[in-house]
Amino acid sequence: MKTRPNYAAGALSAMWLVLVGVPIYVMVSWSLQTRDSFLDRGPLAIPGSITLSNVAEVLDSGFMRYLLNTVIVTAASVGLTLLVAIPAAYAIVRSLSWFSSTMFRIFLAGMAIPAQATIIPLYLIINRMQLYDSLTAIILPTVAFGLPLVILVLVGSLRDVSAELYDAMTVDGAGPFRILWQLVIPMSKGAIAAVGTYTALGAWNQFLFPLVLTQDPSMRVLTLSLTSFKQEFQINVPGMMMAVMMTALPVFVLYLVARRWLIAGLAGMGSK
Amino acid sequence: MVSQRLPRRSFLGLLGAGVGASVLGTSACGTDATSSGGGGGTFQVWVLQEEAQNVAHEGAVDRFNKNSDAKARIVASPNDGYTDKLHVSMGSSSKPDVFYNWGGGSIRTYARDNLLVDLTPYFEKDTAWKDSFLPSVLDAGQIDGKYYGVPARGMQPIILFFNKKVFNDHGVQPPRTWTDLMAAVDRFTSNGIIPFALAGGDAWTELVWPEYLVDRIGGAEVFNRIAAGKKDAWRDPAISTSIDMIRQLVDRGGFGDSYASVRWDGAGASNLIAQGQAAMHLMGSWEYTNQVNDQPEYAKNDQGFIPFPIVEGGVGDPKAIVGNPTNYFSVSKDSAHVEHAIEFLKQEMSSDAYVDQWLKAGDVPAVSGLESRMDNAADPAFAKVVYDMVNQAPTFQLSWDQAIERAQAQPMLDALAKVFLGQMDAAGFVKANEDAA
Amino acid sequence: MSVALESRAPVRPAPAPPRRRQARVNRPNALYLLPALVFFGLFAAFPLVLVLYLSFTDWNGIGTPGFVGVDNWVRMFENEAIWDVTSTTLLLTGLCWVTQTPLSILLGVWAAGAQRNRAVLSALFFLPLLLSTAAIALLYNRLFDPYVGIGRGFEPLRNILGTTSGALTAIVIVVGWQFIPFHTLLYQAAARNIPKVLYDAAYIDGAGGWHQFWYITLPQLKNTIITSSTIMIVGSLTYFETIFLLTNGGPAASTRTLPLEMYFRSFRSYEFGYASTIASVLVIVATAISLLIVRFSGFGKMRSTLEGL
Repeated sequence: MKTRPNYAAGALSAMWLVLVGVPIYVMVSWSLQTRDSFLDRGPLAIPGSITLSNVAEVLDSGFMRYLLNTVIVTAASVGLTLLVAIPAAYAIVRSLSWFSSTMFRIFLAGMAIPAQATIIPLYLIINRMQLYDSLTAIILPTVAFGLPLVILVLVGSLRDVSAELYDAMTVDGAGPFRILWQLVIPMSKGAIAAVGTYTALGAWNQFLFPLVLTQDPSMRVLTLSLTSFKQEFQINVPGMMMAVMMTALPVFVLYLVARRWLIAGLAGMGSK
Repeated sequence: MVSQRLPRRSFLGLLGAGVGASVLGTSACGTDATSSGGGGGTFQVWVLQEEAQNVAHEGAVDRFNKNSDAKARIVASPNDGYTDKLHVSMGSSSKPDVFYNWGGGSIRTYARDNLLVDLTPYFEKDTAWKDSFLPSVLDAGQIDGKYYGVPARGMQPIILFFNKKVFNDHGVQPPRTWTDLMAAVDRFTSNGIIPFALAGGDAWTELVWPEYLVDRIGGAEVFNRIAAGKKDAWRDPAISTSIDMIRQLVDRGGFGDSYASVRWDGAGASNLIAQGQAAMHLMGSWEYTNQVNDQPEYAKNDQGFIPFPIVEGGVGDPKAIVGNPTNYFSVSKDSAHVEHAIEFLKQEMSSDAYVDQWLKAGDVPAVSGLESRMDNAADPAFAKVVYDMVNQAPTFQLSWDQAIERAQAQPMLDALAKVFLGQMDAAGFVKANEDAA
Repeated sequence: MSVALESRAPVRPAPAPPRRRQARVNRPNALYLLPALVFFGLFAAFPLVLVLYLSFTDWNGIGTPGFVGVDNWVRMFENEAIWDVTSTTLLLTGLCWVTQTPLSILLGVWAAGAQRNRAVLSALFFLPLLLSTAAIALLYNRLFDPYVGIGRGFEPLRNILGTTSGALTAIVIVVGWQFIPFHTLLYQAAARNIPKVLYDAAYIDGAGGWHQFWYITLPQLKNTIITSSTIMIVGSLTYFETIFLLTNGGPAASTRTLPLEMYFRSFRSYEFGYASTIASVLVIVATAISLLIVRFSGFGKMRSTLEGL
């Protein structure tokens, strides 16, 4: 850039950094103190002493079980989404029938459906399917509401695959399935990774579906467990903060190792 | 209407279930819906997630499980949202086997929809079991003349708690009349003490005020007419008088200035009085139990308790109380373990060990013949006050939000919260409630 | 949605090949679409139809829904509270847009620049994106506690959740804290794609930084502004967790939005039929706003904004 350094924007950014930093600092600082001492100093002061005892308390409250449930929900949602979305996107791009183009329009329109507004009928449907209070009950609608955007992104990426490549494979005598497996998937790896991350983050962070569609603690996911920690640690704010931090830890690790896909996934997620 | 729709739904249901089962099966993620309600020889016992309470519940479950082939399992959920969750699961195929409730409105829908075990025959068959509970409290859990709940914990009148140390420091006597109370409020506010702790972020904590004031001013009949859905019942002058008094109390700084941001689940109000920042707390007897658990020093040395003051000129009986007679355990009819569940309630709910655990925690269980066990209480003096309060009370008004129809409770709580925020006057409160009815 | 809403029909080689050849070209058939269709139809489209049906019933969540005609709709339009809820929802949506959009644009443009510490700083910027909505709402719930949180020593924040305007402000702050990083990301990507020559020309003409921003950057970001605004507006209409966990709609129902009203009416007051009426309104409002934006902004013709990421 040939422009001068932008002091106004720089100052704004510095301010934003403080706004982002302070709550996170307080959260980290509290989580490392005991419930008896965290109020001794102001929330912004450097903690007098540091302890990891809250980690044990959070682990004792069933954290690992909730983590496992969240991992299952996330993995299954991503798996199922890709399993149904990739062939669908492939068909939308390559099929010549009116059906697939109509379907594409329907999926596009589907992006406008606010998931929250369908929670009552979803509860009814899940109930009638005898799926209430199971992780499956969370997974199925999660996949359904993620599909429109996922298919849109995949379609966008598949359109960039040149027709010559398809023709070449056809000449080799490849059927549609082999084309899907040997051409479509390898060529859209980037998009698949992005939508996979997007789906994973959405599944990891969701709240309303588990809140309404499950009840047993053995089916509880991490986001929901935070509200029970809130009760359990009602006078143990540091324990609560540690729980909040620990639910974000896996995402943080993902951020460190795969920042690019995470950002791409996040960019997609915000649109729902 | 729905029966016509059923074929289509079941078709879609089957289709979806098939897809779900086959797809999930092949992806081998093992998320089958294991029915937690029935299988495996365990049954759920739903309780609130409060450290202070769960000791007794878990004790009961442990004792029962030792000698039973079907095992009880505690499922604890936060107070905020408990009834939402209960309702959702009561409409599902995965109902709790045994669940904690407030009687009245909290189970009326389920009783009428035939989802609960009618316990009347069990009580009739086993009169010793029936007689082990205080009749008034047991009867308060009736719906349409039938028993659906077994008293599960202490009696819960609303009590005026006060911090003795704060009162001594400022030379104030515990208020016996409304005039005393307002004088104490002025005294405390001028000394920088919040007169009443209040978790005003949850409107039910504010409901104790109109409940008592209306009872003191107009007697129990005023609310009974409202609960019975009588026309113009909300227009009783006792209602508008008590709302005016509340507004006055708020304006005089009776609750400090940040009560509306304090949530019950954060234990903010209880901390305020325990730490001496507030002088009083009008709350159910469970407040005592929570303090014994969370702030044992304060509970032991400084926690005082008196009945709600009389209101000069009021026609209500000064011995009348409001609150929750107790909490109950009810049993789902659908449960695969109805008999075991009832056996659990029979064996434990009035057992000495269970009663003693509650007493030790600070609760005063609704069982008969408690006098002889009161020495086991965390504070025998408190136990005796609660026990006498309930025994001598001419009426024990169930909390309004539980007594009225469910659909009217939320609008009432909303309107009351507006009164406490100074955004609504008595006429507005009456109108809001009439609109909802 | 942040991606091309480019609804061009599937690439069709023209002229359409005769049917016999089609088999030889080995194109996928409709079966490839079926699983996605079943999922979407059963758990997204069917619920949408069902919610409309339920709005004409008196279902209590447990028994069977009984048909009551337009009773719920009449009741809703006669109820004053629903207007309060709707105006709160729209006000909150407006406030969120007004605060988030300028901040995101400025931050995004800054982050697209070449400052030395930019990489490190922008990594920090995006930290809120790693936390779930529930986690953020609960964090702020404690931070805004008058006796525990940062308001303990800072008067303006002490009772923030206890007043109507304060609670609204708190939600705007928390939502902004959570989502500004995301929108910044969109603007950063878009700003990087603005051709450098435009700035070079302006520089030669002696245009200052402000001029460049106003006459080059902003117009070039037009499409991104539309994308970002759509996401923001439709998102704000449907926020649930943040408000549910931060203020629970309080104080005194003053932050109760349409989704919360729907939740309270159903799972708390057991009026699932009436709650479905509110849900239907939510669907109608959200769809209408999306359509309006698409219609009046040429949104449908936009290029992908994800490509720069």
